[in-house]
Amino acid sequence: MELVIKVEGVSKKYGSMFAVKGLSFAVKKGEIFGIIGPNGAGKTTTLEMLEGILKPNSGTIDVLGYVPTKQLRALNKRIGVQFQSTSIQKKMKVKEALQLFASFYDGPSQKDHLIELLGLHEKLNVNFEDLSGGWKQRVTLALATIHQPEILFLDEPSMGLDPHARREMWSLIERLRKQGCTIVITTHYMEEAEKLCDRVAMIYHGELKALDTPQQLLNRSVSKNLTFESHQLKIKDIETIPGVIRAEENDGLFHVFCKNQQETAYHIFRICHEREIFLSNFYFEKGTLDDLFVHYLEEEVVQ
Amino acid sequence: MNAVVQLAILETKMFFRDRLSVFWTFLFPVVMIWLFGSMFVGNEMNGLTFAEQFVPSWIGVNIVTTSFFTLGTVLAGYRETGVLRRYHSTPLQPWKILAAHTVQGTVIFFFSAVLLMVFGMWMYGLSLPEYIGSTLLALVISILAFFPFALFLTSLAKNTQAAAAISSLFLNVMLFLSGATFPIAFMPEALQFVAKLLPLYYVINLLRGTWNEAPISSYGVEVGILLGISVVSIILASRFFRWSGK
Repeated sequence: MELVIKVEGVSKKYGSMFAVKGLSFAVKKGEIFGIIGPNGAGKTTTLEMLEGILKPNSGTIDVLGYVPTKQLRALNKRIGVQFQSTSIQKKMKVKEALQLFASFYDGPSQKDHLIELLGLHEKLNVNFEDLSGGWKQRVTLALATIHQPEILFLDEPSMGLDPHARREMWSLIERLRKQGCTIVITTHYMEEAEKLCDRVAMIYHGELKALDTPQQLLNRSVSKNLTFESHQLKIKDIETIPGVIRAEENDGLFHVFCKNQQETAYHIFRICHEREIFLSNFYFEKGTLDDLFVHYLEEEVVQ
Repeated sequence: MNAVVQLAILETKMFFRDRLSVFWTFLFPVVMIWLFGSMFVGNEMNGLTFAEQFVPSWIGVNIVTTSFFTLGTVLAGYRETGVLRRYHSTPLQPWKILAAHTVQGTVIFFFSAVLLMVFGMWMYGLSLPEYIGSTLLALVISILAFFPFALFLTSLAKNTQAAAAISSLFLNVMLFLSGATFPIAFMPEALQFVAKLLPLYYVINLLRGTWNEAPISSYGVEVGILLGISVVSIILASRFFRWSGK
């Protein structure tokens, strides 16, 4: 598998604070690679180092064979970037913006194709400042992809979008990938990472905590849990069962995180059988990336 | 090259979409000439009529307002809101951005200068410049000196407000001390010395002179000083071009 991005031992400091520390990963050609983590985890810093805007203090970065900060212009011809909160000129019309950005690149532009794909027809004569958040995101996405980049960097592309607009954004990103584009995306919506990304890097305090497919991440022991209902069982009965990591109870609804679902389930059934306690709605659950996300966050707090 | 042309055309269009900047650039100088006219018209100074004195100087002042406000402050705003940062991630080079904005500023300045001249001819019987080729050349040299000078100075500002403050300071100092509004001969000697440190002083000498008295070849000192400012400013403006306020 061809690698388009290689990051090795990269650190970035602001003053004496590490924004990113000893980060290593690689991105394969044609995949949607997610970078997730809480606010301030170093996602944007990581992305901006890949884009050549920030220079790492140590470590090496290779994007399409270039050192981003040193060969920025050559790199910029082949990548597309959508920032979190940059703006284009307020009084610029959508069609003018598309035309302007097309003129920055030598090759053919896919302007007309993008107008079609993103449904921009009805907004072509509208000033950028008069667009809603969702339309602004579409326009900046179009500007980022107008030259058919080989890698597309998206920083929180669905931030501030309503659930419907978010889903539309995902299907657009999917379609861009089908055209052969590699996509690197940061997000703090776990659902987005789960549905959209082929592989996900989880970053906390600038350090890589996990890197895998969403499926594999979900299979990790921490995110496995059991749910059931019972109005007689006490939470301390559950917490003493070996292998239970954490248990929550809310109005008779239990949520049990454990290392081995089958073994924990056996103990719960045994206790209930011995004491003649009634159980209902018992499920084996896989958990979500949200659970994993919160788990890592809590780990941080404990440390 | 296509990018420079596109950007210059778009920026010019967008300038005209902003009514406030259109007012300050085009109508404000006309109103000022009219106000000064109501005070001074009929008083000849150094053998020049009111319009022969004031219209060329206000055309000079317009170069300053265009360079500091239409160019400098706008680019400082682009730096603050991330417009330039977005350009940074394209193959567009800084000189193309500066060139496009210079072309845009020149076009806007050209319209404002014609407007002032026509107003002067209509209200105060001003005639076309005596040495019209010299006057045009003087304008080009003044633009080449002032545009990069203002672009460099405003790029030192952290945000739009600071850029506007720098611009207002320079504009006001030059407005009162460079002979555009008050004749330098009436000022105390210390102020006359300060006036000669201001680039606008040379622009106004050059414009008034070529408009009324002699071709540009008689103004070697002014041309030399302005070209010097131009070269230094172009180097500084492109060397210290910044994509973002951080």
